[in-house]
This record gives sequence, C-alpha cells and structure tokens, in this order.
Amino acid sequence: MVRVGMLSFAHMHALSYADVLGETPDAQLVVIADENPASCREMAARFGAEAWTIEQLLNSDVEAIVVCSENTRHADHVVACAQAGKHVLCEKPLATTIADGERMIEACARAGVFLSTAFVCRYLPPIRRAWEMCRGGELGEIFAVKATNHGTMPGGWFAQKSLAGGGAVVDHTVHVADLLRWFLDSEPVSVYAEIDRLIHADLEVDDCGMLTIEFENGVFATIDPSWSRPGGYPFWGDVTVTLVGSDATVAVDGFGQVLTVHGRDAPSQWVHWGSSCDALMIGDFVAAIEKGQQPPITGQDGLRATQVVLAAYASAEAAQPLKPADLRP
Amino acid sequence: MCRVGIIGCGGMGNTHAGNLAALREIEIAGAADANLGAAKTLAGRFDGCTATDDAEVLLRREDIDIVVVTTPTDTHAQYIQAAAERGKHVFAEKPLARTLEQADRALAAVESAGVRLMVGMVLHFFPEYVTAKQVLDEGRVGRPAVMRTSRLSGHPRASDDWYANSERSGGLILDMLIHDLDLVRWYLGDIERVYAKSLTYRGLDHTDYALITLRARSGAIAHIEGSWALPMGSFITKLEVAGDQGLLEFDSESAAPLRVLRKPSADAAVPGVSVPESPVARSPYQLEAEHFVACLRDGRPFAVSPEDARAALEIALAALESSRTGQPVTIG
Repeated sequence: MVRVGMLSFAHMHALSYADVLGETPDAQLVVIADENPASCREMAARFGAEAWTIEQLLNSDVEAIVVCSENTRHADHVVACAQAGKHVLCEKPLATTIADGERMIEACARAGVFLSTAFVCRYLPPIRRAWEMCRGGELGEIFAVKATNHGTMPGGWFAQKSLAGGGAVVDHTVHVADLLRWFLDSEPVSVYAEIDRLIHADLEVDDCGMLTIEFENGVFATIDPSWSRPGGYPFWGDVTVTLVGSDATVAVDGFGQVLTVHGRDAPSQWVHWGSSCDALMIGDFVAAIEKGQQPPITGQDGLRATQVVLAAYASAEAAQPLKPADLRP
Repeated sequence: MCRVGIIGCGGMGNTHAGNLAALREIEIAGAADANLGAAKTLAGRFDGCTATDDAEVLLRREDIDIVVVTTPTDTHAQYIQAAAERGKHVFAEKPLARTLEQADRALAAVESAGVRLMVGMVLHFFPEYVTAKQVLDEGRVGRPAVMRTSRLSGHPRASDDWYANSERSGGLILDMLIHDLDLVRWYLGDIERVYAKSLTYRGLDHTDYALITLRARSGAIAHIEGSWALPMGSFITKLEVAGDQGLLEFDSESAAPLRVLRKPSADAAVPGVSVPESPVARSPYQLEAEHFVACLRDGRPFAVSPEDARAALEIALAALESSRTGQPVTIG
C-alpha cells in the first residue's frame, strides 16, 4: 500500500487523480495540502483525506506526492517534496524553464526519490495501440507525423503568464511532443513555430500556434496546440496523431471514443466512453513506487517536452528553425 | 458556337472535353497528344473531332477558338503561350506552370494577345469549399485565426510516370497541394511566410507527404497536410477554420452520405470493398466548365484570375524551396 498525498488542486486534473487514487487498491490518498485553505478543506472532505498545510504534508509519512499546482510553481513544490524524501508525480508541463526542470531532476536524484511527469496521453488505449503498431514495425519506416492537441481556452491561471509560463503552446504542446518522442524513440533536433494570440481578445498569453519538429532520425512532424475549440464545441478538444510510414498510414484520435448527445436546447455534446487514461497512469505510478522502481515516464521526459516548448517560442520570435535548448544526454 | 481543341488527352483532358461538350455553344473539334492512340480515343467521343500527335497542328487550326491544356505540368506554359500567340482563349489545368519564369512568359503572351486564360483551380467549384467561403464571409466564425486542410490520396500514375518525376510535376506540393495553397489564399488573403517539410526530395518509390505551415499577411496561421502515401483509390479531404467567433469543420470521411458495401464475388476475384460517395447535382468540373464558357461569352472575370494562379504557384514553389533548404521562405 502506497500512502499518497496531493499538493494543490490548482490544475483540474487533480480532481480526477484524487478520484482514481480512491479506486486504486494499492494506494491510499491520505493527505491533501493546498495553499487555498477553503479548497483544501473542501477537497479533503470530498475525498476522505486529511486537510493539512504543505509543511505538514512534507513532514508526514506519505511516500509519494502528486503535485498539481500552477505550472511555474511546480519547481519549488517538487524540490520541496524531494528534499522531504517523497517520490513525486508532477502535472505537465514539468517546468516552464530549463533551469527549473534541471533543478527538479537534480533534487530528486540527490534525494534518491523518483520523479515522474503526468503525460497521461501515453495511457489512452487507442494511442497505445498505435504506439504498439508503430514500434512493432507494422508501418514500415516512419517518415512523418501530424499531431494535434486542440482545446478550449481554459481561462484562469492558464491564461496568466506568471503562473502558466505561456499560453496554448505551453499548455498543449508538451503532451504531443512527449508522444512523438515516445513513438519515434528519437529526440527533436529542430523546432520551427508560428505563434500568436488571434482567437481570444484581451488574453495576455498566446492562444494558437503551429510547430514543426524534426527528429534525429529524420522524421518530421507538426503539432497544433491551439485553443481553437469554441465554447459551443461538443468536447473539450482532441489529441490526434497521424503516422505516415512506408507500409501504412495510421491515424489515431485519442479521445475518439464518444457518444453524441443532443439536448433539446443545449448544444450537442460528445460523451467520452473510452478507458480512463488517468486511472491507467496512476496505477502504473503507484505500482512502480510500490516495487521501488522508477515510474515509466521520467522527469527527463518532462524536461525534453519543455525544451520543445521553449524552442518553439524562441523560433516564433526569430522566424527561424532552432535547436531545442539542450540536447545533452 | 466555339470550337475547342484539347492538348493532352489523359484523364483531365477527357474530363474537360466531356464537360465542355455538354454545353450548347461548345464543340470539341480537335485532340492532340504525343500518344496518337490517346488523341484518337478522345476524338472518337465527339462528332467531327480530329486527332493528331502534334500539338502544333492543332494550334495552327484557325477554326479552333479555345484551347484546353491538360498536358504534364512542365509543358503547360509553352502551350498556353503558343495558344495565346495564335489568338486562342485558354483553359489550362493547374498548376499554371512548373516555374515562375515559365508562368510569367505565358501570362505576358496572354496579356499581349488580349486573350483570356483560366487555370483549373477547381476547389472554387466544390460546394463544400464554396459554402465554407460563404460561412466565413458571413462572419460566422469571426476573424479566421487557424486554418487546417488535408488532401490525402495514393500516388497518381500517368503516362511516362511523369507525376513521380518532381522535376516535371513538382511532386505532391505543386501538383496537388496547390489546391490547398490557393484555398488558403482565397480564405485568408495574401501569404507572408511559408515553412514546409516533405518527402519530395527523398527519392522514395511513389511516396510523397508534406506538412506546410503558412503565415498570412492578416496574421492568420494555416497548416496543410498532403499525402501521396495512401493506398490507391483512397481520397480524403479535410478543412477546418477556427476564428475568434467559432469553428468550421469539414471531413470527407464523415460527409459521405452514400456508402456501397460490396461483398466479394463468390470466387473472390473481385474483393469486397466499401465505396463512399457524395453525389451532387452537377460535378465541380461541370460547374467549372460552365463558368469558363459563361465568363468568356459575357466578358465577366473568372472566379480564379491568372494572377491568383500565379500567386498559388509562387507559394507552392516557396514551400518546395523551404522543404529543400529547411528554412522559412518569405513571399514577395
């Protein structure tokens, strides 16, 4: 049994992770800590956990902590968890600067705790099936990949530069950048991006972009991370990957398993019935911690995705393709 | 009555000839193709139509008023120019030319001869794209921000396998994605910058794929996906325009209202197959032919001007250059 704490519910995925922890036989959600005392008490009551301060959480006997604070605060929180000897599952993006990412990884390594990045999309069964086909050679030689992670504009701190580190490009590039690295088993060597704020008036961050990435193995790919789904869209967005190979083209829609529900007056909606990627990811994380092993998705994976984001912003500024900031092994 | 000569009697030559012949004021009078058999086959479809293996013979005929150029891409410009110099109006298949130099020579000849030229940017006659343009013009998605298109098929095969020779065809980007590049310009206006990746120069066997990012002068961003890597017979198109007030989506896979799900024949000589169809009252190519002839008759401007065709060519060549050099290319 792994005793787990949760640090912050700023990111809405925390709600789902808490739900899932309650249903994971090998895990127990013991403590919830949040700098917002009202939210902390509400969540603790909802999930049957203790409502403590972050200080108390760090001094408790939990073995692992799920960090779901605002993007730019991940680094301080993860480092604090590491120094307290706790394994960490950090919400994506791991960090919004290279320095932050490196200091998180180093702190965890020094403390001898495991760090994992919550790249849940690897756990979507349609995505995993496509990954199996890709890695199993069913597509032949892979030439190119087209990927999207569209979404509705989340608002709140996601649209505040100081807390999110950027807009749509930070929020929605990392999942697919990670998927591409995982599918291709290769690292990005060049990133080109067009980035702008064109959809939502008065936003202080970018809301649309188009990234082109070239990998060490010669594969080229694009990612559309735009918050281009309007409020009336039947779903929050998408995660899609099209892989073009010498023997086959495979197109996968990670959230394509939906029912369409039409209301009398309300806009039509897609209701997802596919398997919960959150449950599969948390299960894997807990199982690894219980066995004393590094969970499958590492802090390094998180940092690599952040490097793509930072290269994209710099590329858009320069209108030139750029190498991701740091590709040292 | 206008008399039409067809230069290039492959698939598109036959399509345009058939659609033009259906119009009251049109007679198909001549067919030219280096392959005399192809010219004879086309000519055989129309009363009084004669065949030749020499385009010059057709171009010299004074009874021909209109020339249709449906040859491989690298010869479009020379036939447009030759037809214009003999005072004939021209309908040319896209792209306008293989290079901008060829295009400019052809356009200069058209201009100085005072004849008219329309290039077959047929998306302007596809009801899904025309309707999308209306929706955009009505402001229903607001100011366009991010546009995405896909055009996916198998690798085309034709005489001499000329599509596979990118020196002649310009590959997927110039041959097929010119439609989407033209569409992006139609919807978003002039293009400022192009960045593209493609398989065009990899020397692969009948395989091409491209992902193109465009920045319009308006600020809007566009993404074009093109494939010549699907199984033969596949054809998929997609369109999406996100604006500050909404989102427009089209996918040919879900907009096929008729599907034939055919069982394999008893001896399995004919495999089972699923064939989607989207029937419309008049095909886009029929509408294109009608538009061409009506504009000639009434002296109205064509939906696609020669300058539009040149602009699409310029963007396509920029995309090819970007995919070759790995650098973005600024237009104009």
